[in-house]
Amino acid sequence: MLKLFQHNTPKIHELEKASSAIDVRELNLWFGDKHVLHDISMRIPKNKVTALIGQSGCGKSTLLGCFNRLNDLYNGCKYKGEIVIGGKNINHAKVNVARLRTRVGMVFQQPNPFPMSIYDNVCYGLKLQGVNIRRHLDDAVESALKEAALWEEVKDRLFESAHLLSGGQQQRLIIARALALKPDILLLDEPTSALDPLTTLFIEELMAELKQRCTIVIVTHNMQQAARVSDYTAFFHQGRLIEYADSDTLFTMPEKKQTEDYITGRYG
Amino acid sequence: MVNLIRGLFTAVQRQSLVISLSAFFTSLLLIGLVYIFILIASRGGAYFWPDPLYLVKYQHSNQSYSVFAQIHEQNEEEKIVQLRYSHANNPYGSFLMLEEQSIVSQQQVLDVAEIKLNDGRMIFAAPDFLITPQHARAALDEYSQVVGEVETISSEIERLQQDTLAVIHQSLVELNRKGVEADAPAREKLQQRFRAVLSEIRELETLRDNYQLSIRFADSRTLTLTVAQIAQINLVNQLSLTEKWQVVARNVWGFLSQSPKQANTAGGVFPALFGTVLMVFLMTIIVTPFGVLAAIYLSEYAPDNSFTTVIRISVSNMAGVPSIVYGVFGLGFFVYTLGGNIDTLLFSDHLPAPTMGAPGVFWAALTMAILTLPVVIVATEEGLARVPKGLRSGSFALGATKAETIRKIILPIASPGIMTGVILAIARAAGEVAPLMLVGAVKFAPNLPIDGEFPYLHLDRQFMHLGVLIYDGAFHSQTDAKSASMMFASCLLLLVVVFVLNVTAVILRTRLRKRYLQG
Repeated sequence: MLKLFQHNTPKIHELEKASSAIDVRELNLWFGDKHVLHDISMRIPKNKVTALIGQSGCGKSTLLGCFNRLNDLYNGCKYKGEIVIGGKNINHAKVNVARLRTRVGMVFQQPNPFPMSIYDNVCYGLKLQGVNIRRHLDDAVESALKEAALWEEVKDRLFESAHLLSGGQQQRLIIARALALKPDILLLDEPTSALDPLTTLFIEELMAELKQRCTIVIVTHNMQQAARVSDYTAFFHQGRLIEYADSDTLFTMPEKKQTEDYITGRYG
Repeated sequence: MVNLIRGLFTAVQRQSLVISLSAFFTSLLLIGLVYIFILIASRGGAYFWPDPLYLVKYQHSNQSYSVFAQIHEQNEEEKIVQLRYSHANNPYGSFLMLEEQSIVSQQQVLDVAEIKLNDGRMIFAAPDFLITPQHARAALDEYSQVVGEVETISSEIERLQQDTLAVIHQSLVELNRKGVEADAPAREKLQQRFRAVLSEIRELETLRDNYQLSIRFADSRTLTLTVAQIAQINLVNQLSLTEKWQVVARNVWGFLSQSPKQANTAGGVFPALFGTVLMVFLMTIIVTPFGVLAAIYLSEYAPDNSFTTVIRISVSNMAGVPSIVYGVFGLGFFVYTLGGNIDTLLFSDHLPAPTMGAPGVFWAALTMAILTLPVVIVATEEGLARVPKGLRSGSFALGATKAETIRKIILPIASPGIMTGVILAIARAAGEVAPLMLVGAVKFAPNLPIDGEFPYLHLDRQFMHLGVLIYDGAFHSQTDAKSASMMFASCLLLLVVVFVLNVTAVILRTRLRKRYLQG
């Protein structure tokens, strides 16, 4: 298993600016009066898997939600600072949020297939983009499902309800749904916490495949998972970025004591 | 029911007062409901059943009488019998209360018939013989043949009246409107034709009325009816059970398809049934988009502040406003203000005769829509709130805007909730009477709101409503409210209509739920 993920990972400070997919600069975020994220600055490298770890409530999921501005849905959410994706600051007021979200896909903790057929689920985003030609949709559905390693299991029942799939299949369907839009970045918010170990393994293997095509940012509570799948890991504590390094370094020789305490399970 | 009783017993065994009390009141409720249904169904159903006819001989102030009668009600304690009878002096059937000891004899005789006339009146008498232009005294066996001949003449008369006379009349009215002088040649010519057709019709009518039926009452006095008057003759005492059910089927069909006669005590209720369904249908069309859009705004777009709280409270309070208040509002605002203004703007050439400024089916539907709006809003809001948050964020995360998310994800999933609201609205609207009487429902409307005349759907017309018919029936006479009457039959029909509308909506809701919730 480990073999799959052993790459020659450059150290974080060796990364060039040009190779970052997301550049976060002095990001602060408040929910109402609550200061949730403090001065976050980090670069997330292209075509790598970056894991965000930390205790519940440390702000890692919130940070993930900043990357596709899903936090906008919550009342009283304010933020300051820049997040540069594709050379543009996405926190700018004039950014087309819907368009941004087609470039930055997201997979949630609970699989949330729409109450439609498998086929309609996968082409939901494409249809919103105005793609209506049946042949194009067919092709996109097939390739997205293949990328999400679901095609073989569902190719004979594309028009059955997505709710009839198992939990793991549903989660892969959500991944396929996001991939159908050919996003540059895929955000995974604890994608396997509701799944059994075998399915989890399956999805982890999938991530290793997918990072050829897009940048992956994953939030996880599972330390082993972070170590297994990610190239880089960022540790958050109480809304602050404590330590950010390539995963080998962070999990073997953490610089900060807080990080060491967390990854060895002394708290959290 | 069985479970309920079993639960009641277990509760008593456990000596749990709360459980047994609540079970008691629940069963009371159920019994009440069942009793109401049985009363309405039996009284309403009996209206269609051919009652046996008796030859009743009775004494009254030292004189003896004999009549053909239905025995409607017997009060065992006070020994009073209610008869519906026919008599040569009073052939069309009226009610009579008799003390039991004044009745000398009562027996079923075979040759007496229930004769229903086209105008809805009923005669109990024995048919004797037929009178035709060819025979002064023809046998009764020829009745069906005679009816055929009469029908041929009648349809000829109808054709003349509708196709020829009405057209000439229309042209005359047109000339009047244009102010053509009374002695203009065109007008003279038309009037001449009018008179010619009229006399042709008169001739045919005389010919038709030469077909007659002579009937005999219990005291051997006779009466002659024209065959054209008669709608149905049932020799009720000779009918077998299957034939009785055939009569019931014919009566039910007549009840559903004919217009009311004799000031809503006989005939059918078709215009009322039609009016009720049309009004509910129009109301549903109006209230659903209004209610759903209002609910969407309130729960998806409106900011969560004190103003929206005030709106929400007002919406709930609207549901508690007495319905007659809506009736007055509808009359004052919709009919007189809105309708009056529409008249001055669009139909000013018809004034002072109002077009939209008078009560009509559209204003009634609009009033009922306002009345049922809160129900739809509240149910829809609940349905919207039940849409899982994950689906919303899932849709947004795929680049959907708020409007797209509402249209493609939220509304379909909330549709069972919306249907619940619509069901409740329909049930409420179909049963309301009071506000309708102010804004367009009448005891008798000469025309249906839909006909073959342009623009086909006449929203300005007054309409008949089952509830109003029942209300009207209850004030006719005491005998109506006591016995199997048209009022009960209308009640039964109203129940059936509400039930059918509800069941349709529930089936629709279940299907939507299956489609969008369980997947």
